[in-house]
Amino acid sequence: MPEIDPSDHDIAELGPKLREIEDVEELEAILDAEREGEDRSNVVTLIEDRIEKLSGDDEDEEAGELDPTELSVAELGNAIRDVEDAAELEAVLEAEEAGEDRSSAKSLIEKRIDSVRGSGEDEDDEAALPPEEKHPELDHPTADKKHVRALEDGVYEDMWVYCETQRGQLIDVSKEMLGKARELMDGYNDEYVDAEEDEEKVVAIVIGDDVEEQAELAIEYGADVAVHYDDDRLDRFRHKPYTELFAEMARAEYDWKEYDEPRYVLFPATNNGRDLSALVQAELDSGLASDCSGLYIDDTIISNPAKVGRGGDKKEFQRVLHMKRPDFSGFEYSTILCLDNPGREFHPQGASVIPGSFELPDPDSQREGEVVRHESDLDEDWLRASVTDYDQLEGGVDLTGNEVVVALGRGIGDDPTRGMELGLELTDAFGDADMGITRGIVTSSYQFEGHVEQYAKEERQIGETGQVVEPDLYIAAGISGAIQHKVGMDESDTIVSINTDADADIRDFSDYFVEGDLFEVLPSLIDAVESGELDAAALAGDADTGPADAEASTPAGGEDDD
Amino acid sequence: MYSLVLTKGVPDFREGQVSFDEEGHLERGETPTVMNPNDEFALEAALQTKVRNGGTVGVMSMGPPGYEDVLREAMETVYADELFLLSDREMAAADTWATAITLATGIEKLAETDRGAPDLVFAGFKTADGETGHTGLQTAWGLDRPMITHVIAMEVDEDEGRVRAKRLVEGDVEEIETVEAPLPAVIVADPEFEPSYRRADHRLTLKDLQAETAERAEDYEEHLTTWSQQELNLDPDYIGLDGSPTIVESVDPIPKAPAEREATMIDPAEPDQLGEVLETMQPYAGGD
Repeated sequence: MPEIDPSDHDIAELGPKLREIEDVEELEAILDAEREGEDRSNVVTLIEDRIEKLSGDDEDEEAGELDPTELSVAELGNAIRDVEDAAELEAVLEAEEAGEDRSSAKSLIEKRIDSVRGSGEDEDDEAALPPEEKHPELDHPTADKKHVRALEDGVYEDMWVYCETQRGQLIDVSKEMLGKARELMDGYNDEYVDAEEDEEKVVAIVIGDDVEEQAELAIEYGADVAVHYDDDRLDRFRHKPYTELFAEMARAEYDWKEYDEPRYVLFPATNNGRDLSALVQAELDSGLASDCSGLYIDDTIISNPAKVGRGGDKKEFQRVLHMKRPDFSGFEYSTILCLDNPGREFHPQGASVIPGSFELPDPDSQREGEVVRHESDLDEDWLRASVTDYDQLEGGVDLTGNEVVVALGRGIGDDPTRGMELGLELTDAFGDADMGITRGIVTSSYQFEGHVEQYAKEERQIGETGQVVEPDLYIAAGISGAIQHKVGMDESDTIVSINTDADADIRDFSDYFVEGDLFEVLPSLIDAVESGELDAAALAGDADTGPADAEASTPAGGEDDD
Repeated sequence: MYSLVLTKGVPDFREGQVSFDEEGHLERGETPTVMNPNDEFALEAALQTKVRNGGTVGVMSMGPPGYEDVLREAMETVYADELFLLSDREMAAADTWATAITLATGIEKLAETDRGAPDLVFAGFKTADGETGHTGLQTAWGLDRPMITHVIAMEVDEDEGRVRAKRLVEGDVEEIETVEAPLPAVIVADPEFEPSYRRADHRLTLKDLQAETAERAEDYEEHLTTWSQQELNLDPDYIGLDGSPTIVESVDPIPKAPAEREATMIDPAEPDQLGEVLETMQPYAGGD
């Protein structure tokens, strides 16, 4: 434990204390403590800055011997900013090529070389040049393309929520987003909007056939304004007209809207909602993060050269929507930001939201808001693609209500097909049981053989964005137990886990932890459950080869899943 | 019929550990590159079109020169006739929008060649590393083409100049719908895409193509065209890192949950210990 526990202090107290600390390791311990504790982004930045400053001092002492392989791309960027000698930079570039050969690092060094060798013109001036002068070798600057149309000095306000409907009804994720948007904008108005100014709003967008009632419902779920567009040809989602209409609304002038475009836009991360998010943001020439499960608004300090400008150092961006999305690994969140460039405005800041990530709010029939019909004519050309038929798919898999659930994680990775077969066999050995999987398997690139492939689909996923089960007995094989998985199963009566890694997180919420390779343990369990007795001889056989096998399989079992 | 498939190289996650630098960027140098697994379905859809409707298939990717291997892999999968690599250091570290602008420009350049504009552009769903699922759509938007996404089955009617496809819709219930669009169009294939070769002559064609391609893939370089930023006439401010609206601010471990249960440790080699686990399971035994 570090000498200072950061959670005992607010940021104003921490600043002076940190400045007294000269030991990078001590600071890193404090940083870890903060991340595990309150994880305040401004405190994290403060500690990181102090660490960076101390590390930077060391670099100065070794000036002239810059070794890029020991630096992150960000550190390298800072380090080479002070180097004025092109030959020295060339040496750094060679070292990078010989070492890690990171394209982002090389690009930074090459840019610095270009800049040192240039005519000495100020780089900020360069950024301000029109593209024709900056790139005389190009005859059609990309900026003229019809799909690149950022605003200049645009005014951006409010949070817009695309409320998807199905068969004319708001789907749950639309309501969940309205609830979250309400919470975010209430916080935003407290933080950024003075009492005499107008508060920024939550605006719901509903497009479809006869959806006025759904717009009214959106008010009950938290919107201040609900804009709807009705046309029987839009009974079902169609990419082109839905995108054109949303963008038209975003740019329109209304009595209640005196800004150019929305500040933030949210879409559901469903097949159609995610599609629309990509197209609307393309049309508005901005960016987005997809499949988010966490959102907050905060100021942030950025050193990314594309965002700050080549001549710049660090820059504060205010009112930034921080979009957290679980990564493929299931163990990490990426926080994505959509930020203006010095010469190009990237607004609205967009996100798509995984269904089930936020609480479904209770409707408040007393809530007041404005319902607005958007007036527009559909362009025939927008209707080139048409839906000719549709049907509801069969209900999918319901894992709840079983006595036993057998769940598999990425511990099956050594032989995914065999792993699934073992899981199914164990499931069959029980009377009332079904098999589930982790998100790690759903998003994996395992090549399953045909007969088990059908069990690797999202419909069997257990966890935060899948099903929540509470069986009498939960058997977790090859699951190391990320928190998103835990919330889907930790109310089970008895939890037995099987894992090669005795330190796997799942141990902390298991009743029994079998430390072993599922490819060896599951066959024994299947036999035993089927026959009603344990085959001691077979186990003894395993024991002979046990240690060697366990050692060999540890890396594979440990790199797990969620 | 000219089909073009967009594909991407991604780190091979099957190899295990993937590393990030401190800015949260994936360190691609550390991880072998393979074709994005979900692009397989776009390739399948393009191959089905070639087998059923004949014609030519091209494959296009944006990435460093090392992506040639990815393109060769794609050539073998889809029996492609030609390969296009959009490659330039100015294109590096692009997000989906900067990538889509680059790809759309590459397709526009292709349209100016003798080959002409592709009748169908195919893209896969999410890439394994970015997982956004946006690039195919945004490329379609840049080209102003009709698109059908999340496609699980499709057929092309050349006489009518139309494509008809079945697609998946999510929501409170799952739906399957049939969509028709005029050519030229963009198809985004779903991981559930299933090609269909019902007729015997289709299966024979498939076999012939396979033999033909094996030969072509030997010297795939002869069929590869590489275009740089200047050749594409792309303003560097609109591509790569500089043209990307989004950045990764941080990559953080998901916090560990506090311990809730005290697990009894079981050594599977000890019958007594495993027997204890079995006792908890036995009451539920009784398969068929």
